[in-house]
Amino acid sequence: MGNKEIISPGGTMKKLFREIIKNRNCYLLLLPTFILLFVFEYYPALSAVYYSFFEWDGFTPPRYVGLENFIQLIFKDTVMAISAKNITILTLFRVIIAITVPLFAAELIFGIFNTKMAYIYRTLLVIPMVVPSMVNLLVWKFVYNPQYGLLNQFLKAIGLSNLCRAWLGDFSTALYAILFLGFPWISSLWFLIFLAGLQNISTDIFDAAKIDGVTGLKRIRFIDIPLILGQIKLILILSTINALQGYVGIMVLTNGGPGNSTMVPGLYLYNNAFYFNKMGYACSIGMILFSILLVLTYINLKYIRSSEEG
Amino acid sequence: MRLAEFKHDLPFHIVIVILVFISIYPFIFMLISSFKTTEEVFHNFFGLPSSLEYRNYLDAWKEVSPFLLNTIIVSVITMFGVLVLSSIDAYIFTRFDFPGKDILFFLILSLLMIPGILTLVPRFLVVRDLKLLNTYWALILPYIAGGQVMPIFILRSFFSSIPKELFESAKIDGASETQCFLKITIPLSKSILFTVGLMNFLNIWNEYIWPLVTVTEPKLFPITVGLVVFQSRYAGSAAWGPLFAGYTIASIPIVILFLFTMKYYIAGITSGALKA
Repeated sequence: MGNKEIISPGGTMKKLFREIIKNRNCYLLLLPTFILLFVFEYYPALSAVYYSFFEWDGFTPPRYVGLENFIQLIFKDTVMAISAKNITILTLFRVIIAITVPLFAAELIFGIFNTKMAYIYRTLLVIPMVVPSMVNLLVWKFVYNPQYGLLNQFLKAIGLSNLCRAWLGDFSTALYAILFLGFPWISSLWFLIFLAGLQNISTDIFDAAKIDGVTGLKRIRFIDIPLILGQIKLILILSTINALQGYVGIMVLTNGGPGNSTMVPGLYLYNNAFYFNKMGYACSIGMILFSILLVLTYINLKYIRSSEEG
Repeated sequence: MRLAEFKHDLPFHIVIVILVFISIYPFIFMLISSFKTTEEVFHNFFGLPSSLEYRNYLDAWKEVSPFLLNTIIVSVITMFGVLVLSSIDAYIFTRFDFPGKDILFFLILSLLMIPGILTLVPRFLVVRDLKLLNTYWALILPYIAGGQVMPIFILRSFFSSIPKELFESAKIDGASETQCFLKITIPLSKSILFTVGLMNFLNIWNEYIWPLVTVTEPKLFPITVGLVVFQSRYAGSAAWGPLFAGYTIASIPIVILFLFTMKYYIAGITSGALKA
């Protein structure tokens, strides 16, 4: 009994070692991936956690400040407060849009009997995805251009020139202009995922529903939505992640202005790191966003499991 | 029957046509205006161009093509790097059992939870300290590092659906593991590799923030950063014709790519999304 205990750990160690030697090619082939991941993913992620407790300009030795960055960000920093308010509005709006409008479009196209036309419409709705996203943003920047923009020219053409304004430069409209960007908000990718989900529902179910008199909105509510819940939740998670950390659009259209009226945490992080040289402070903003994402994703995943069981 | 079908569809058609039109109108406007002289953009704002001003494209091409070339070089190298690494990794994770396999796989899995915004600043510092700023490598290496994660999952689940008997009989016929990988797995996975590669290509094509901070020399700018510079110069002087021509040129490579590959891409998205 006693002997066994002494021998077996050594034995398993030896066996493990032999297994590792035998499979050395596996490790060798995985090595490039893990070197790259270590240098450009794990190490940066860990040092982001580390530096968030420091005051650091990126050059001189960092100075440990404990929770000071977080206290400053959460309780004192007025720009962060505006950013938090803006990102809450933007995220709520974008997530609701992401799960309603593309689904609406998918239902419309799914509802057409004429399959040829349905195919043409689907192809046309994929165009916005094919155009590079930067071109999309710059075209929208032009839409809002105060002098020559599409929106103001359109308002003039229909006799509403009194409504014309510098949409992105006006404190009262800049954030709404950002929200309106991409109208009618049919994201090609979400649309395709919803359409595929609907097309995967067996026709037997629809036939049975029809016999029971479940049609139209009733069918969507009681058959379609429960059966594409997986897709809805996937898009819920992905669009939350995208909306919460995204800031390219705002950077290109308003750069947070006028004033800080369209500032969001992502852009504020960027400015802190690359304009103000406050690397530690920027990492703290990243940590806050990461924590919020973690909590939201956890809630989403938990919700998925419970509703699929129920 | 035809009439009944049309009657049923009509309200759908009306709503969809309106939605589709508003969705793509800005791009139609871009295309039409790219053929107008700057004069005509003002005086004939919504109309069709009276003559095709092809010089817009010559002007814009001179400005935009170097950026386009940078992006093509970087995205092609990245895509190949991602495909090679992720297919080898996925193959190892499906075909072999070795100590620590689950831990290693979990390490890769955990990256899906780490947002890019968290790692942006320290990753920039790493690239700076490696003296890679203002090189293609500052873009390619981090792109491959992050870009391989999703493909490893997608390919692993695809590879594990290939019947084991196929490999066993090949082994009996004397095939080596390398041959099993190159002659069985890869040919059977052509379409999924294609989709994964295309998704990666598209992501790299649209990257803006990362090149903005790591590449400050204009001759290395990718198309995204280059377009913003181009936009501020041309919109400043209200040269809308060449500006829209530049946007159109920037869109053409992806449009052409999609014309040939859309079917695979859509199939890949919809099947991959269901598994996730």
